[in-house]
Amino acid sequence: MAEFSDWFKDTFKNCYCEKGNLIDETRFKELVQLVLDDEADDESLTLFEEKIKSCVKSNLTYENEKSMREQIKTKLCEHKSEIPNDLAQIIRKSVNL
Amino acid sequence: MSTETLQDEQEVKRQNYSEVEKSEIFDTEFTPHVDSMYSFAYRLTFDADDAKDLVQDTYMKAFRFINSFQRGTNAKAWLFRILKNSFINEFRKKSKQPAKVDYNGVEQFYNSDDAGENFTTDLRVETVQHMIGDEISGALNAIPVDFRTVIILSDLEGFTYEEMSKILDIPIGTVRSRLHRARNMLKEKLAKYAKEMGFNKQ
Repeated sequence: MAEFSDWFKDTFKNCYCEKGNLIDETRFKELVQLVLDDEADDESLTLFEEKIKSCVKSNLTYENEKSMREQIKTKLCEHKSEIPNDLAQIIRKSVNL
Repeated sequence: MSTETLQDEQEVKRQNYSEVEKSEIFDTEFTPHVDSMYSFAYRLTFDADDAKDLVQDTYMKAFRFINSFQRGTNAKAWLFRILKNSFINEFRKKSKQPAKVDYNGVEQFYNSDDAGENFTTDLRVETVQHMIGDEISGALNAIPVDFRTVIILSDLEGFTYEEMSKILDIPIGTVRSRLHRARNMLKEKLAKYAKEMGFNKQ
């Protein structure tokens, strides 16, 4: 976990130039995915949250990725195959319960 | 899947449940996941009958090896792992799907250092908003099965990277990179589709 945390912080730092502007959006998006997946540790998350409060481009990228993820998830969840209503019963029978 | 595999993978002491306990575990811990299991199976096989058979087969194995399951642990992850292994070991061979893409090659490419440069999709939220579930499902179904699987497990079923690592038998780092590549692949498919359909026009 410590290794991952170091990697996250290093990668995050490298996404920005000396002036603090976002220069590597592709890498930044990768980190956004980790944050959205709730995989970033507290320290990394704090670093990330502080930055998106002060950097407009980072904030926009974050919000865009977040909305995109929500949209895709919602639409995929809505589009589920019809589950056979007797499936649980068939399974119980097949194992002699 | 062999009994040994299940025991080793779960790293739990073999239980000795009574028939009543087995029935209780089956009903209270396994059965509630039937719907999720079917959805997962359907997204792997694209066929209602195949999905049904795969789920049934998974539950039969789960019951046969129930003594390898420790009560109160993550039953959903345990069942998903069995289903995934059944699909890979047996089902994929007789699947009605056309030949699969060599995902190892694909993954190798997408994991290469310069692969990220290829993902410069101009997919916008507004574009996705205009799409319907069927179109997004179509794009998801068009990406190789191992990449599709991580998206399903993470975004639809809510498994953590650690759980996915156990279900898929791959290191967490691989889960992370595969998921990242998979999402980019999905975006690429959606962007391509949007372009074809003229969704990107202002």
